[in-house]
Amino acid sequence: MDFTANYDMFLTEEHQILRRTVREFAEKEVAPFIREWDRSGAAMEGPETRPHIRPILKRMGELGLLGICLPTRLGGAGMDYLALAVVCEELERVDSFLRVVMSVHTGLNSLTLFQWGTEEQQRKYLIPQAKGEKIAAYCLTEPNSGTDAGAMLATARRDGDYYILNGEKTWISLADIADNFLVFAKTDPSKGNRGISCFIVERTMPGFSSQPIHGKLGVRAGNTGSVILEDVRVPVANRLGEEGEGFKIAMTALDNGRYTVAAGATGLIQASLEASIRYAKERQTFGVPIAEHQLVKRMISHMVRKLDTSRLLVYRAGWMKNQGRRNTRETTLAKWHATVSSFEAADDAIQIHGAYGYSDEYPVERYLRNARGAIIYEGTRELQELLQADFALGFRENKPLRRELPAYDPDEWA
Amino acid sequence: MHIVVCMKQVPRDNSVKINADLTINADGIEQIMNLFDEYAVEEALQWNEKLGGKVTVLSIGPEDWKEQIRRALAMGATDSLLLSDPAFTNLDTFGAARVAAAAIKKLGDVDLVLGGRNSTDDETGAFAPALARLLGWTQLTYVGKIVSLESGKIVAERHLEEVIETVEASLPAVVTVVKGINEPRYPSLLRIRKVAKVEIPTWSAADLGLSAADLTPALKLVNRVPPPPRPKGEMIEGKDAAEKVKKLVDKLMEAQVI
Repeated sequence: MDFTANYDMFLTEEHQILRRTVREFAEKEVAPFIREWDRSGAAMEGPETRPHIRPILKRMGELGLLGICLPTRLGGAGMDYLALAVVCEELERVDSFLRVVMSVHTGLNSLTLFQWGTEEQQRKYLIPQAKGEKIAAYCLTEPNSGTDAGAMLATARRDGDYYILNGEKTWISLADIADNFLVFAKTDPSKGNRGISCFIVERTMPGFSSQPIHGKLGVRAGNTGSVILEDVRVPVANRLGEEGEGFKIAMTALDNGRYTVAAGATGLIQASLEASIRYAKERQTFGVPIAEHQLVKRMISHMVRKLDTSRLLVYRAGWMKNQGRRNTRETTLAKWHATVSSFEAADDAIQIHGAYGYSDEYPVERYLRNARGAIIYEGTRELQELLQADFALGFRENKPLRRELPAYDPDEWA
Repeated sequence: MHIVVCMKQVPRDNSVKINADLTINADGIEQIMNLFDEYAVEEALQWNEKLGGKVTVLSIGPEDWKEQIRRALAMGATDSLLLSDPAFTNLDTFGAARVAAAAIKKLGDVDLVLGGRNSTDDETGAFAPALARLLGWTQLTYVGKIVSLESGKIVAERHLEEVIETVEASLPAVVTVVKGINEPRYPSLLRIRKVAKVEIPTWSAADLGLSAADLTPALKLVNRVPPPPRPKGEMIEGKDAAEKVKKLVDKLMEAQVI
């Protein structure tokens, strides 16, 4: 059955053609190789030299996926924020590393330039990124600061028309691949969150270096690494937003990054469900297909519940983005629910596959490893729980921002 | 040059079920563009890029087939045409060819008709030959390469089981293509948005001047039963593998299989 049917209240025929296109791309150009690519990440030592990553990014760029929800005048495909969710679902249905590209390149970096960037910054950085000619990443986390971003140690010291950046960022997706980075650093180390500013940093700037992280549990097909900044001179023109506005910018970026993570997790649930349905119908025990056993049916039914609820939460957030409404509460709820559900669904998928599910002969063990990271990154499960409680209790509200994410405008974006 | 591509929407074939009366049950099954027709669309687009003109995607079916037509438009087709009428519901292959032939005649300026070698649901492979016959045009089936295409003439390779034939014919002609003639492109995301609003012209039986008699199936289904079950196999007994093999060889020789 088609689990993406009957979402007409959110999706149009455009989204259906888009879904089919992305699915074909992922199934044809990634699925046949993904087991080997995933294994390559387990065995990897030294610098990132794996040959599959750049060509796949190039293909995603050629297809227009990397600028999917940006106006055509900025080099994008002119589709809406729901299209971004459809792309993420279909990519992560095949492997999470593809969706991670959408999260960091499009969600965390490009949409942040779209929201906060000056015309000049958009011309110089956003347009090549939307076209896929340049790849972008996002550097917030440090070895000693994750959820507690205000504790970061990276600094940006003003020197005439430049800032001098020093520090180390880690767990950066595409650290060894990307051309442009949004880097958060303290312009005023005496202040916490209010002392943070945001900078556009290019890999080619002297003092910039990166190295991959080895031995990851999941997302092994993709590149993750650390970024080291040693006296990197960044022009003042590359400061995104005002001095001290960095924390706010980082949080709005996460409203978009988390949205892509939630949509991707929905795709991962669907992949787990589809694999489970296939296997449950062909594997026989006690003289019948295991699909006939009630406890297997229960696992299938719970996957369906998690799939549909996740998708509905994601599309609600996407619909709000299209309207130009702030969606922090709705997006974090979708992210929390979908990622936790995706891990549970992959776990049940392994259970349905029995011992076969425990080896990489079947894809479900990869789904489980890939799902686990999203319960930590872009806001831990625990942070999402606190946010939901605080919104419900009235301890937290969305304050107006100096710049909001532009609403979708079908005419202006075309 | 005006190229018409005949395109059919079919259920994704790896998931259809069979009803109790042995008819195909495609309820809830994802509908896709017939695999071989996708190659035909791509071939038309490639020649259109070289020669200019028009590529019209033509399909016979209900309103909800428009998604596959839009997909072809998003790939790059310039024009589209849906032939839709309640009277078309139970067409057989020849009836469908009549409908398409009437539309192609009405279009008037068509140089070349492209289609897949067969559809993956009915698999008759007879639609395009019937269409060529009705139009009175030359048919070139199983084409694996179009070598040249110019006004009035086509040179193509027919990829048959044992041989590759190079054939020449004058235009207009009807050509069916095989898998591998090209690598179909993905729809362009920029075009997806543009074609979403395109009005797809729809012609009915009346528009085509077709009467009920034209649409009556030439073939009537009288009965449908499953093929007879395969005879049961025979287990060869013996005290060890060598003896079993000897008995097996004896039996095969007796049956004159070896």
